[in-house]
Amino acid sequence: MDLNIRIAGEAGQGIQTIGHLLVDACASMGLWVFSTQSYMSRIRGGLNWQDVRIADYQITSGCEEADILVALTDEVLEELAGEVVDGGVVLYDGDEAEGAIAIPFTEIAKEEGSDVMANSVAAGAVFAILGYDPTVLEDYLSHVFEKKGEEVVQVNRRLARRGAEIAGQANIGLNAPDPARAPAHVSDGTETTALSAARSGVKFVASYPMTPSTGVFTWLAGHADDYGIVVEQAEDEIAAINMVCGATFAGVPALTTTSGGGLALMSEGISLAGMHELPVVVMLSQRPGPATGLPTRTAQADLLFALRTGHGEFPRAIFAPGSPEESYDLMRRALETAHRFQTPVIFMTDQYLTDLRMNTAALDDSYAPIDRHVVEDVGEGYRRYEITDSGVSPRALPGGEGFVVLDSDEHDEEGHITENLEIAQEMMDKRMRKIDGMLEEALAPQMYRADDAYSLLVCWGSTFLPCREAVDVLRMRGHSIGMMHFAQLWPLRVEEIREKLGVRERVVFVEGNAWGQLATVLRELCVVGEVEMMTRYDGLPFTAKEIVARVEG
Amino acid sequence: MRRLNPSEPAWCPGCGNYSILPTLDEAIDEVGIDRHRLVLVSGIGQAAKLPHYTKANVFNGLHGRALPPATAIKLANHELEVLITSGDGDMYGEGGNHFIHAIRRNIGVKCFVHNNQVYGLTKGQASPTSDEGMETKIQTHGVMARPLNPLALAIVEGASFVARSCAVTRDHLKEMMMAALKHDEGFVLLDILQHCPSFNRRNTAKWYRDHVKPVGDDHDPTDVHAALDLAMTWGEEIPIGVIYRSDRPSLEGRHPVLQEGTLVSRYEG
Repeated sequence: MDLNIRIAGEAGQGIQTIGHLLVDACASMGLWVFSTQSYMSRIRGGLNWQDVRIADYQITSGCEEADILVALTDEVLEELAGEVVDGGVVLYDGDEAEGAIAIPFTEIAKEEGSDVMANSVAAGAVFAILGYDPTVLEDYLSHVFEKKGEEVVQVNRRLARRGAEIAGQANIGLNAPDPARAPAHVSDGTETTALSAARSGVKFVASYPMTPSTGVFTWLAGHADDYGIVVEQAEDEIAAINMVCGATFAGVPALTTTSGGGLALMSEGISLAGMHELPVVVMLSQRPGPATGLPTRTAQADLLFALRTGHGEFPRAIFAPGSPEESYDLMRRALETAHRFQTPVIFMTDQYLTDLRMNTAALDDSYAPIDRHVVEDVGEGYRRYEITDSGVSPRALPGGEGFVVLDSDEHDEEGHITENLEIAQEMMDKRMRKIDGMLEEALAPQMYRADDAYSLLVCWGSTFLPCREAVDVLRMRGHSIGMMHFAQLWPLRVEEIREKLGVRERVVFVEGNAWGQLATVLRELCVVGEVEMMTRYDGLPFTAKEIVARVEG
Repeated sequence: MRRLNPSEPAWCPGCGNYSILPTLDEAIDEVGIDRHRLVLVSGIGQAAKLPHYTKANVFNGLHGRALPPATAIKLANHELEVLITSGDGDMYGEGGNHFIHAIRRNIGVKCFVHNNQVYGLTKGQASPTSDEGMETKIQTHGVMARPLNPLALAIVEGASFVARSCAVTRDHLKEMMMAALKHDEGFVLLDILQHCPSFNRRNTAKWYRDHVKPVGDDHDPTDVHAALDLAMTWGEEIPIGVIYRSDRPSLEGRHPVLQEGTLVSRYEG
């Protein structure tokens, strides 16, 4: 049993506040929750919504239709009422609307003092329609407003009750999922990524704000004093990446956050990190392009760019987590990989993943800084780019006995500029040898219900979640189908991928781009030939239902 | 000439850098800077090669991008002395945006700009400080933009220390370098006028010698208006000396996160 609640209105009306209240209150009851956001590129006005899908079984996808629509404006009724399922409920913030239960959330809140508390009225009404114990919501409100004092707590509790009373008078009860045993902890992709960076010892962050990467930048700025992080808003993305290069040279783990357009500006700096052999990590939160594209929507259209960005040839690693929890694991892994192999790493996420909230196990937030793999006590003869079998040279920090010399020109072992072509080739070979070690540590693609499956969905990054639910649904409907998920996109162990792909009747690449970029990468490696593509590039994420329909269609 | 590094400079014969390099080495040593704690940061260009011909830690990065890594190095480890050796193209052209914002931050780095009013490494195109009307193979009708005024810009944006000297007045240059290196708070700009025998036929060594004039004792460098007057003076007389000085605190000095020591020294991993 599952059910989708859509809260819709203009930017600035507190949609997220209502959504988060419902997400957290439902999760506290042991329900599975999955919440996504759809918003326009504006600060006020427009048509935005947040979906809160709840279930008594594990769900990992949003869905197109709503069972409950909370309409905060007339425009919502006009635009979104058609997406409410038969037998669904529309709650309207006003005095009267056809086919809707009219509850003047805002007016009621104003009577109590402030229209910002309309959220509590709305949440109370939704809870009543769902038939859930109103004290759960009220207790949650007490928890949220605890810091603001007893009076605020009581007003919000009272408002939630009034919303519930009025909704109750309509005498409409929906068949809602029963509380289950889902983890009560809820987190979003922004928080898990940023928390992971902070606890892993990132000490310097330089970024230029760009949706949808700004959330992580903002989280780190908000926690900078706790973790002792210097957060600098750079004048542009070129400055940001070059600052991160400087900070890693000086000796602290550093991060920059951006989206596709910003990565384009960082391109030369990423190449510099490859040449300087600096452990630079770039968080790339994707949105549709080209150019400015659709700033607040989602996409998986920068894989080929991330793989190729930066002129010349140098080793790099690319990670693309599939969930908030995997974002937490892989941000740390990205930092560790960068430091172990002294080369740039790109961590790819997107608007969908950074904004989505779902149940997760409680995350370890204890401070556990990564090993920087630096050498100490080097003497006068120190050579930063000493030729080694692994290609990884001993990395010392400036300030000690040995001079640390980096050059963006080709350089000798000491780091000084050279035009000796034999040395140039040795240095290139040294850098490239690092790929062998990176391959050994590369994550294999994850297989889900794939052992005996005739058909296979192949996905990467955030498409993991809807694909996973689609596989479960398709299995229930009798399909022999499984899934292959790539959370590391580079470097790739070709033989292992071939083996895991195996021989299948049908292989479908599910990607949030027009070209099939992972398919392109695997074709280039001669892992696949022509393949069946399922693509989506309208700025919205896949849903499980859509994938099921397209597999069956 | 004393040389600290065996590699052969790749500069043209007669280049102003041949006087700047040993003067800088003398200034560093006479001020008593520990070279192990010194980081020379540069971008690309003839001036940007200088770090390879002396002894220090070096971050020789991308064209125009000396200031962002220099800023971050100072923020990550403010116990290091961060000195930028850059040219007019690198710092005022390609890196112009960073120049403005690094000064706004007042990050505590020393920024020495070898300003020869022309592009050397790419063979003679106009630079942001080229005189209006200067003809080159690209600016065939003469330079049609007004020269950028680095001193006025730095003063207006809030640099702590702004000075100018010249490669042909070595004693004065050394004096200015030492004053700049000793100024231990905030952004320090030293604009070093320099001849380019290969590509700048207007602003030659002789031309500079004839035009530069040391600032008199009556100039009060803490007077921002007097400083701007001097910074705006360019023509028959070009003032050299300490143009402006303030006690505006540095970014790293003001930053709350850095009050308990450097980021690097506090890292536990």
